[in-house]
Amino acid sequence: MKIPQISKKQMEKVHPYIPEAYGLLEQGRVSRREFLRLATLLGMSAGAASALAACGGAPAEPAAPAGGEAAAPAAAGGIKRGGTWKSSMSLQLLDHPARLSWVEGANIVRQFGEYLTETGSDNITRPYLLEKWEASEDVKTWDLFLRKGVKFNNGDELTADDVMFTFGEWLNPDIGSSMLGLLSYLSGMQDVEKVDDYHIRLHLQTANIGVPEHLFHYPALVLHRDFEGDIIKQPVGTGAFTLEEYAEGERAVFKRRTDYWRNGEDGKPLPYLDELIYISTDKDAGIAALQSGQVNSLYEPRPADFLASKDVEGLTVRAVSTAQALFLRMRVDLEPWDDNRVRTALKLCQDRAKILQLAYFSEGELSIDAHVAPVHPAYCEKPIPEYQPEEARKLLEEYAAEKGIELPLKVTLATKNDQNEPEMAQALKEMAAPAGFDITLDITEPGGYWDRWTEVDLGITSWSHRPLDTMVLPLAYTEESIGAWNETRWFDKEFETLLHEAEATLDVEKRRSIMCKIEDIMQERGPIGNPFWKSIWNITNSKFKNVQAHPTAYDLMYEVWLDE
Amino acid sequence: MARFVFRSIVSTVITMLLVSILLFWLLEVGSGDITIKILGVFSTPEQRASYRSQLGLDAPSYLRYSDWLVGNDWRAKNKIGFDVVTIVNQATGEQEWWADVDGVLTRWNMEDGKLLTLRRGADGSASSHIVSIDWQSNEDGSESFWGVDTKGNAVMWVRGGGAEVWALTKAGLRKQGDGPQEYIPLRKGLLRGDPGKSLQYGRPVAVTLAPRVRNTLVLAGVAFIIVMPLALLLGIYAGINEGKPSDRFVSISSLGATATPEFVTGIFLILVFGIWLKWVPAVAIFDSPNAIFENPLLLVLPVLTLTAIELGYITRMTRASMVEVMDSAYIRTAILKGMPYSRVVMRHAVRNALMAPITIIMLHVNWLIGGVVVVEAIFGYPGLGKYIYDAAIFGDVNAVEAAAMLTVTIAVATRILGDLAYTFLNPRIRYG
Repeated sequence: MKIPQISKKQMEKVHPYIPEAYGLLEQGRVSRREFLRLATLLGMSAGAASALAACGGAPAEPAAPAGGEAAAPAAAGGIKRGGTWKSSMSLQLLDHPARLSWVEGANIVRQFGEYLTETGSDNITRPYLLEKWEASEDVKTWDLFLRKGVKFNNGDELTADDVMFTFGEWLNPDIGSSMLGLLSYLSGMQDVEKVDDYHIRLHLQTANIGVPEHLFHYPALVLHRDFEGDIIKQPVGTGAFTLEEYAEGERAVFKRRTDYWRNGEDGKPLPYLDELIYISTDKDAGIAALQSGQVNSLYEPRPADFLASKDVEGLTVRAVSTAQALFLRMRVDLEPWDDNRVRTALKLCQDRAKILQLAYFSEGELSIDAHVAPVHPAYCEKPIPEYQPEEARKLLEEYAAEKGIELPLKVTLATKNDQNEPEMAQALKEMAAPAGFDITLDITEPGGYWDRWTEVDLGITSWSHRPLDTMVLPLAYTEESIGAWNETRWFDKEFETLLHEAEATLDVEKRRSIMCKIEDIMQERGPIGNPFWKSIWNITNSKFKNVQAHPTAYDLMYEVWLDE
Repeated sequence: MARFVFRSIVSTVITMLLVSILLFWLLEVGSGDITIKILGVFSTPEQRASYRSQLGLDAPSYLRYSDWLVGNDWRAKNKIGFDVVTIVNQATGEQEWWADVDGVLTRWNMEDGKLLTLRRGADGSASSHIVSIDWQSNEDGSESFWGVDTKGNAVMWVRGGGAEVWALTKAGLRKQGDGPQEYIPLRKGLLRGDPGKSLQYGRPVAVTLAPRVRNTLVLAGVAFIIVMPLALLLGIYAGINEGKPSDRFVSISSLGATATPEFVTGIFLILVFGIWLKWVPAVAIFDSPNAIFENPLLLVLPVLTLTAIELGYITRMTRASMVEVMDSAYIRTAILKGMPYSRVVMRHAVRNALMAPITIIMLHVNWLIGGVVVVEAIFGYPGLGKYIYDAAIFGDVNAVEAAAMLTVTIAVATRILGDLAYTFLNPRIRYG
């Protein structure tokens, strides 16, 4: 394979830090994934970064084809065109993409619309509708350079006006977009500057390294400048398919677009498939349809669906590690959880391997009690804590003696019956009994729990995947987020200082050393127990090639092809 | 007879009114904040409050009920000072609301923080005009204006009351200005033929409900046509052969079919015929709106499941009734006086024996249409029962109400049909 030679000078032109990072890669101090993430974060095209990484001494992996910015794993064999892909997924109200609050809707709009960046299945974010981005030294000014020649499906060309309009929608509180909270470092449209038709500059109030990831958050679809608020009536986007039909609760039909801007491996425009159809059914009906061949895929299979499909002939199961988890979270403003000894005692009562086995059929990774996952680039590896009921009992006895109360300590654990939380709650109840906890379970339907998730004393809350640790920690563990998503009311001065430092640190090595401290604080006095990180699966009929399992269950269909 | 029908209709209307009030109240109490379900748990309380007011959910419940029943365009008319009318947009086929300002159809649109007047031309196009807005001064010194927006709401805009955000406008950056503060989502009300918009799907209920009703009518109709004659025949056959092996066979197998819950039968059928043998489609995947007509095989397993559960029930009912009639004195007399056996059965026994099954059958028509949620869920069949269930879980008042009104109507209509069938079968019964 021909590897393009990139000199240090060229690297420096993209960003002064890249040569240094490259040095780290050569010495084996950062992995290829971390280098890729950093280099692309600093504005290097992913193709060039992959090429660099390939010659950078790291374990040899096939480099993505140079120049293919949105690089996908190269497919073996000849690509074939044509065919229809059907999937089962529930379809609900869909009007304003910025208002999306469910991934199913995002899977609809992403077939005919696109994002400025893309976080791939490898959890690395690359420029997409952007040609590249550049961050200033202090990570407070971001320059976004739009790709030229991208056309909407109504014939208009994508320019900075469309992106400015889209930013305006995100930042308008009346729209109700969750982007508003994510982009809290922008105080309003005065911080978004249009430099020229293909260049937008963001002036951040506080430094944040997560901008590229935020631009791929699922409501962040790039809208046409004349969008009026209902994407079904105006399905205008730059994507590779066009929306032919959308009937809520029934089906969505997409047809291939012929003038899409990206080319496939055969040199003709993507996509390879002719048609996509989503059919809205229950998961139970969906899994039967998948097994009988009536549909080819199923949105976000549950553990039970995974078990039912993993050995079925003709179906391919792809697993992917995520930063999704079920957190055992404690309200630190209420007794007894205000006392760190009680929190620590309960955390010690997690027999993690057993919980993973009982609640998730061992399909996941054991975790420490911090909201930082191994898939996060700056994760700092720590030993997995052991199950220590005796230690926990000692702590509880101490606490009980001080308070003058008798063990067992009666507590209520609230959760929802949705993603195997009841199994985890039941396991925990048994494991915590020898330590002196008497846990009563309070399990409701998902809606019932989401109505009160921030209010219960002790609960198990499911958190979805986010590509960066610095995207999730400020959401739930800072003083500012109390009243919003800080369900535990926990905050810590030292933690917050470190977190802000991490948010402004591009260097993965340096950020990892900060994360080490952050993880220690969370383990030592934090408000959550976290036995495991979930894996999720993509189950698709084996005749479809180039399918990717994405940690957020996104359907990336542009490069999928059918081999009958 | 006319009086009977008239009384039935009056009682139907009263029933529907009571059902609608009860459902409205139940959903009011039972469902949580719908805006969380729409905007997600990560929306801020302010965003939710804003969205709630855009949906008109911040109005008191009696007002929302009356809006649902009789509409609110007359309420909006008082505020705006002009008539509000609906026209059908030729391009989309959807209904649009406009204010009739001295013969010119007008709407107002907030663009770049400024309120613009839109006037509808004769060709259906809307042109935007910068006309001075007739702001009303309020007691607290603010200025407000009521008009119709482009999304079918009557809106009160308050001058300078827009959200405090910077927006990019064609004239550069500026602060949002004359913001909407109060919404009345315009509707005509059920009594005037408008069941409103589905909160869950954001489309008119009539549009989302119609295909479900059609699907269910097809499923229920096919099941009915297969089950009823078969069940009656089997029941009559078993009844006249009471105690013989053939009767035992029919009785026991029908008992078995009925005693097996439909979710067991359904899953068993899916596994055997759909996944293992692959003879028929396992579940009802509607990959086009007319999938059941393009591929009627989709109906096989759902109909079989319904047949299994219904067949046994009605067969046993008919059998019991038949046995009782065959035991009665007049049948013995008829046989003793030498009437041919077939004539005794057909002319004298069956007619009387059908009274009880007819009641059951008519009750079951309603069940087949609105109550087969379990069967619809197993097969992913997009029918009415599933529609009501999903809407109720979501707290979608308009959808639940519309579907419930439909099922109540069907329930009462089938009852009337059942009563008419009685009079036909038994001339002694006359409703005076």
